[in-house]
Amino acid sequence: MLLSLRGLGKRFGSLQALEGITLDVHAGTVHCLLGENGAGKSTLCNLIFGVYAPSAGQMLFGERPWLPSSPAEALEQGIAMVHQHFSLVPRMTVVENLMLGQAKGVLKRREFGDRIRDIADRFGFVLDPDAVVGELSVGERQRAEIVKCLMRDPRLLVLDEPTAVLPPGEIGALLDICRRVADSERAVILVTHKLAEIAKVADSVAVLRTGRLVAQADMKTADMGALVHAMVGREVKPLDVALGDSKEPEAGAPAKPGFALVCDGVTVQDRHGATRLDNFTLEVRPGEIVGLAGVEGNGQSELGMVLAGLLAPTEGRYFIGDTELTHAGAAAVTAAGGGIVPEDRHAVACVTAMSVAENMYLNKLDRFTRFGLLQRRALNAAAEVQMKAFDVRAAGPEVAFSGLSGGNQQKAVLGRELTLDPLVALVAAQPTRGLDVSAVEAVYRQIRAAARRGVGVLLISSELDELIAVADRIAVLYRGRLVGERPAEIGERGAIGALMSGQVA
Amino acid sequence: MTALVLSMPDRRRVLALSIPFLAVIGSMAIGLLLIAASGKSIPDAIEAFLDGAFGTAFALGASINRAVALSLIGLGFILAARANLTNVGGEGQIAVGGIAATAIALWPPVAGLPLGLAVILPLLAGTLAGAVWGGIAGVMKVRFGTNEVISTLLLGFVALLMVYWCVQSTALLRQPQTSSSTLPESLPIPDSTKLPGLTNDPGSPLHIGLILCLLLALAIAIVLQRSTFGLRLRAIGLNELAARRAGMPGSILLVVALGIAGAFGGLAGAIMLQGEQFYLKAGFSSGYGFDGLVVGLLSRGSTIGVLAGALFFGFLRSGGISMEIMAGVPSALTVVIQGLIVIAIAGSVILVEKLEGGRR
Repeated sequence: MLLSLRGLGKRFGSLQALEGITLDVHAGTVHCLLGENGAGKSTLCNLIFGVYAPSAGQMLFGERPWLPSSPAEALEQGIAMVHQHFSLVPRMTVVENLMLGQAKGVLKRREFGDRIRDIADRFGFVLDPDAVVGELSVGERQRAEIVKCLMRDPRLLVLDEPTAVLPPGEIGALLDICRRVADSERAVILVTHKLAEIAKVADSVAVLRTGRLVAQADMKTADMGALVHAMVGREVKPLDVALGDSKEPEAGAPAKPGFALVCDGVTVQDRHGATRLDNFTLEVRPGEIVGLAGVEGNGQSELGMVLAGLLAPTEGRYFIGDTELTHAGAAAVTAAGGGIVPEDRHAVACVTAMSVAENMYLNKLDRFTRFGLLQRRALNAAAEVQMKAFDVRAAGPEVAFSGLSGGNQQKAVLGRELTLDPLVALVAAQPTRGLDVSAVEAVYRQIRAAARRGVGVLLISSELDELIAVADRIAVLYRGRLVGERPAEIGERGAIGALMSGQVA
Repeated sequence: MTALVLSMPDRRRVLALSIPFLAVIGSMAIGLLLIAASGKSIPDAIEAFLDGAFGTAFALGASINRAVALSLIGLGFILAARANLTNVGGEGQIAVGGIAATAIALWPPVAGLPLGLAVILPLLAGTLAGAVWGGIAGVMKVRFGTNEVISTLLLGFVALLMVYWCVQSTALLRQPQTSSSTLPESLPIPDSTKLPGLTNDPGSPLHIGLILCLLLALAIAIVLQRSTFGLRLRAIGLNELAARRAGMPGSILLVVALGIAGAFGGLAGAIMLQGEQFYLKAGFSSGYGFDGLVVGLLSRGSTIGVLAGALFFGFLRSGGISMEIMAGVPSALTVVIQGLIVIAIAGSVILVEKLEGGRR
């Protein structure tokens, strides 16, 4: 047994990130660590790799107690990790990058180059040591990272979400490398939330959910359906009970004709020409809440930027109500009645150094302008009313927005977008991320109330429970494509989870 | 003794307030040592400095006129800085303003215009030229992503050479060449286009540029503190993406901000030309754009700070010139002392902030 975890736990303040993890990893095997966002996978890796110290339990590495004080010590002792975000200098060649931190004194380029070729040969791939990293594909860069680890001759290789960044064609090659590394009497830990992709290479699998180990299985005998269910199939939080209202529209609410929001074949390519969003077509009717599920990084960010009017799609068209907004820009989206709650609140939704009042009316400052001067008293008075209406708790309208808690910031942003006149559609991306329970509840309540008033809502989230509780139907985004649509019912959880993990139904 | 009675935070505050003063006095003392080291008499130098800075009505007026030019550059700088833009092209904006003001003032129909238009039109021309010069840098920024520090600085060199071209070529602004000794300068501008004096004292060069400058300072203070435009600039400067999401025309605001900064530079050039120099020659600004940049930087966004800093630098410059003429102190040495003072002020500001931060 190479690595053994005994009742491992990690607590950050009041948050129990990991609890009671008991797990064995054997040399010569590929061990897969499965779990949704926030399940504790990265925390576990960071404990093994010495980034954090555990708050409970024990680790054994090669039969000896393991308590690395830093990643450097972990590397020294034989544990290497490839992070999701690479740490390579793009302008330098592969060999130069690999010499960083390993070469001392006189640089021996040729010797290092030969070692790189040796390692690549041994594990069955090709990597040109003299290629400039910036000109390599993502897969090649990842291989350079793996070689960097293997040069230290580790006994355990940890790969954090290695498939998330790869195009489908390169995944197979990566898995072959993992297999060969394991066959050389090392162990590999593969962290992923995409079960289908790694099923063929893993020897055993452990499933994490909300910081606990909920399932462990030998891959030869594992029931894939049961694993998916273990990953996503927890009892739905009593959200409906907490909200105490139904998804049904109010009786007598006028059914507006047409669509609130339409995406017609929206396609986004990044500047490297990679397709981030592929022919995305979706219609949201007035009064409807459509959930868009998907593991993060599958095109949600790009979609959010397009819908906010901050990114022009490469192809396709985008409407709110009857207004085409494909290339119209953010001001036009607001004017057409598109409320936007962006996923990155601090980067897109607010100016944290400005006051609460200024932020709550950032898009409506004209209303408080007379002869070019800002009527601060009126602005602050209006903000105070707004703060009460949306339960934004702050010392006053003039305090800095940065002083508010995340929940209060989000309520302020939501309030600003929900009070657009007219309001036709609301796009909320990851609106409850990082919020406490009461703020989460308030956000759901406001979103549902808006839908009852006839607003079409697109709720983009990677939290399946959230979508099931709030949405009417759920579409699933995978690798930039819509791969399916299911009713938002608890019974569909497994099916939606499977779609999210890339097991196309 | 009082210092012992004061509680700890109060002592810190006293210290914090006295640091900038001590720093300036210290750097001046170093300056005096340098003067002594260069073999000049310190009392002579001090006397010459005081005389030149505010010893006579003429000296006082000249110092204040210098401060006006510096203030205008500084005011433009802090407005652009509100949008997180750094305008280092003041020198070039002064140059194009001076060219435009000279050209219009020398245009025959202008001299005869009534109602002060003979004065106002060249001023407006200078302002407009500066605005265009700053605006070009703005367009380059929003269109091609060119950093405005680079573009304003390089456009400045272009403008300085344009002055040279204008005064070298009779087809442009050079005075008619009557002999081989005709200097490469423009004709003097007509009296009717010169800025009216502020006092009846013919010995004082003080002109209405001062009034104009104070009015504009008030305007900038209102724009920055009270106007919606000022708030939008701030939003753009702090978080451009969020400002654009809130529907603000980000590109336009950035171009306008640099355009206004340039306009202030152009106006400063026109005022220098119409107020004191009266004819265009190469290098007529001699570094006001860069001193004004320092004034803007040291003010930390405060209008009052710009005015105070400009006045200080105005006196320093006048006094320095006088030291050079009367006490034989090399002009390079005044520049050195000026640099020391800038470092002292900037450094003490950081120190004060650290002390105040320590109180929390």
